[in-house]
Amino acid sequence: MLKQIITLLLAQFAAIFIFCCGFFPQKNVLKGTADFTLESSVQSESKPVFDKLVLIVIDALRSDFVFEESISNFKFVHSLINDGEAWGFTAYSNPPTVTLPRLKGITTGSTPNFLDAILNVAEDDLSSNLKEQDSWLKQFVRQGKKIRFFGDDTWLKLFPVDFFQEYEGTNSFFVSDFEQVDLNVTRHLPHQLETQNEWDGLILHYLGLDHIGHKGGSRSVFMPSKHKEMDSVIKEIYENVDEDTLVCIMGDHGMNDVGNHGGSSPGETSSALVMISKKLKRFQPPLHQRGLHLPINMELQGRETNYDYLTKIQQVDFVPTLATLFNIPIPKNNVGIIIPDFLQLLENKIAAIKVEDNFNQLASILGRTPGVKNESIGQLFEQMRDLQEILTKSATNYKYNILAIGFGMLIIIAAIALWYGISIMQLSNSGLLTISLSLILGFAMFGSSFVEEEHQIWWWIITGTLLLSQLCLRKAYKLHFICLVCTRLIRGWNNSGQKYTYNNTIFELLKANPGIQWYLNLLTIFAVGMRGTMRDRLSFVLSFSLCALCGSYKVSWAIVNREYVPFWIQDIAFKSCLFFTEDQSNGVEVFNKALVPMAQFFFKYFIVCLAIKISASKMGVTKVNLFSMFSILLMLQSPSANIPIFLVFEALRSALSRLFKDHYNSNSYLISLSSLILQYFTFFQFGGTNSIASIDLSNAYNGVPENYNIYLVGFMMFVSNFAPTIYWSLYKSTISSSEDHKWILYAEQKIPFLIFNCIVGVFLLIACYIFRFHLFVWSVFSPKLCYFASWNIFMNIIIECGLEPIVRAFGT
Amino acid sequence: MSLKNKRSSVKKSVSFSDDNTMTRNNLKKHVDHDNPPVYVRRTTLTVPWHIFLLLYYYIYISNSYDTSRLLYLLIPLQITYLVFQFNKSTVYGKKLLKIKLPLLLTSLCATVLLTIPTTMIIILFGAPLTEKLTETWLLSLHLCFLAYPAVYQVFNGDFKVGLWKRYFIMIVVGAWISCIVIPLDWDRHWQTWPIPVVVGGYFGALVGYSIGAFI
Repeated sequence: MLKQIITLLLAQFAAIFIFCCGFFPQKNVLKGTADFTLESSVQSESKPVFDKLVLIVIDALRSDFVFEESISNFKFVHSLINDGEAWGFTAYSNPPTVTLPRLKGITTGSTPNFLDAILNVAEDDLSSNLKEQDSWLKQFVRQGKKIRFFGDDTWLKLFPVDFFQEYEGTNSFFVSDFEQVDLNVTRHLPHQLETQNEWDGLILHYLGLDHIGHKGGSRSVFMPSKHKEMDSVIKEIYENVDEDTLVCIMGDHGMNDVGNHGGSSPGETSSALVMISKKLKRFQPPLHQRGLHLPINMELQGRETNYDYLTKIQQVDFVPTLATLFNIPIPKNNVGIIIPDFLQLLENKIAAIKVEDNFNQLASILGRTPGVKNESIGQLFEQMRDLQEILTKSATNYKYNILAIGFGMLIIIAAIALWYGISIMQLSNSGLLTISLSLILGFAMFGSSFVEEEHQIWWWIITGTLLLSQLCLRKAYKLHFICLVCTRLIRGWNNSGQKYTYNNTIFELLKANPGIQWYLNLLTIFAVGMRGTMRDRLSFVLSFSLCALCGSYKVSWAIVNREYVPFWIQDIAFKSCLFFTEDQSNGVEVFNKALVPMAQFFFKYFIVCLAIKISASKMGVTKVNLFSMFSILLMLQSPSANIPIFLVFEALRSALSRLFKDHYNSNSYLISLSSLILQYFTFFQFGGTNSIASIDLSNAYNGVPENYNIYLVGFMMFVSNFAPTIYWSLYKSTISSSEDHKWILYAEQKIPFLIFNCIVGVFLLIACYIFRFHLFVWSVFSPKLCYFASWNIFMNIIIECGLEPIVRAFGT
Repeated sequence: MSLKNKRSSVKKSVSFSDDNTMTRNNLKKHVDHDNPPVYVRRTTLTVPWHIFLLLYYYIYISNSYDTSRLLYLLIPLQITYLVFQFNKSTVYGKKLLKIKLPLLLTSLCATVLLTIPTTMIIILFGAPLTEKLTETWLLSLHLCFLAYPAVYQVFNGDFKVGLWKRYFIMIVVGAWISCIVIPLDWDRHWQTWPIPVVVGGYFGALVGYSIGAFI
């Protein structure tokens, strides 16, 4: 039975994988490099408005960071905008709002492809190269302009290095570094400003602000000083360049309040764009900027803070604008429109040609024959906006034959699984429950808001099943009450989804009261980690030392990130840090240096403990509890304010196992269903969503030195994001069963998972296919498909078929 | 949601008199004259037309979805419904009992008091704790007053609760099902808390009082 089920699980994953291959193909782009389409001799002879470009990309620079009074510290930029020497815009960056696709947008002017969002994480990939694609960088190079680049090495991955006369990349993946990463860019600046006549374009890409966001959110204590640092960089550049230099400051994307990005919420898609030049003072500033004094106070103006400041443009509009101002052809795949305010910088005749050129270029992507019938510039702009709308919507070409193969395979597998599952489970209560649960979730896949707010559905299901169970078993009301209280606590722990955010989540409350948080954390680590180890001395010592290590690592991590920790706990952690570093100096430095070796030691020690426990159990010396040991690992990989949630888990788990033992006769299908529901429920309530934005990277680097291994980091990222899910998947093994039926039960418990995954998978694939041209396909359905696929491979295959048998085999 | 608690709170007071559910089957066999059987006749008289009208008014006529105004309409209508319809369909042994005014008032007070545990239960079922407490309490008032005729009969029938649970449960189920519209991104005014759940509770009550006697 087990073999068949695992084969079906693997086949199911293969089908989903095949479908994904067809669903996330590379976007087809026009090859070749653009030339002027209209009156090219006139155009190429005319003098460009600017000679030199300084482009400063500040990663995750949300619009309000530059314009809003309550948060912005860009004082110098404000004064420039008020003087009219700088024009500010809010640029809408198309989702997925992660760096690599956004850089593609900023340079080629095209809309991104969802695959780029994933490639953004898989750093080593070379397929996303822009060597062949037309971009303003390529046009610059074609004109013999010299570009120098310093900053995020994503650029060096995108463009062949011979585009750059001089360059140095910094690594974007090590998010805990706020300062060095930017100093490495700024240190080149004095030399570059001295040798200005040797280059025509200087690109700087700063990552620090994004890192701060990922670590501490948009209102992190590190933000103001970072703003000031960036402001002083801008000031230094501005004071050293002449009138013919255009300085652009832009964010590649924004961030949400937690500091993550990737999705399509207003915060993530609203990035700032400021164009600075002394020349601009001679012209009329954009309409929305006139008469405004920066910084703007949105609340005073009684407007909602949806990050709309000054003129709203599409971020891709930057590309044709730049091309126009520097008199280069507009890149072929551009879908942007020249920002109308900049046309006054050109001669009237040239301006008209440029607009028409832009129009022709847009029309040519759509395959329409360019032809303009003496229309006014205003009409042209209107038409271009229509074209742009069509172009940004049409995303990719799907490979329909691969989609069909994947989908057909899944249908067959789902039919087999359903038939097989029902023949074993019969149409019992648990069988009906499984199928109705799968159908509810399956139908929910068709609603974009149900996908975004999936945690609500799981909560709805949990309350429903508890209600149902209570109605069936009137006498067990105490156990049901405990379960309800625990699940309500878990629900209150974090915000999930996009629609509702509550300020008083338990996570936030604990962050605000770090004293309580750390007492609770230590209590949780020891209470959960030591469970079941009191009986024999060996496991007690092993588990105790593991808990202590985990606790002191979390404390040190918090101190390095400048969170408050009660003094005596700090003291203990400090002493334990001294084991791992030779640096005897006082202060945060010791913690900082001990962090990586301590985590590495933890992992090594964990494996040693695991080996000792397993061999002890094999020799029959003692019964071991691997479940509590893995819980320690999971707590290490959780954000510190999420650790106490494991205490609630533990309470819920004991209530549930009593409920199942006393009232449900340890029905393995029901146990498996409860595990399934709780896996999903806790995943969302741990802070996860179905959006790329909420992937938490902060614990993916535990014990990873600077020269990291991408696979290791990826694995740790999975563990830290799926920590509660792993807990609830291993929970099945803790409800004790007789030794003889262990593996039969294990196989039985796979069936509800198999049916659920197959049915939901079928519905999800249909939804993805139907909505393949829908507006939300890249922000809702594709991420869901990615989550579904990674859940399949990581949870259903690696954890449930790899780890769970180990935990089961050696007793819990 | 509210009712789970009602059930248990009522149960405590019942413990002395045994939860002997009166069903139509054992009805004929032994008619205990000290504790006459209580049941609701299967009649269309119990159909709560006023709830239907209130729903129509709330959804189509009032365009403000004012939850408290709806409550002012609900309370008198529920009392009228109890006096003229629900009580008349409830049989004690072989006779109808007349409405007792003191009991009416006692059960009204009890219903208001019930909103406190109900609010707590609603919060346990996912309502925010620190925000929108007034709205949550309004919701629990609605749910409790929807259950009011059943609450009165619980008092009237000497806490023989077996029969009345179905009415409570239907309201709970209606409220629970209606939660499904909350996450939708339609951005309608009626999606704000607690309007969908109020409407769901009304639908539950509509169904419950109409077919409660038949299940």
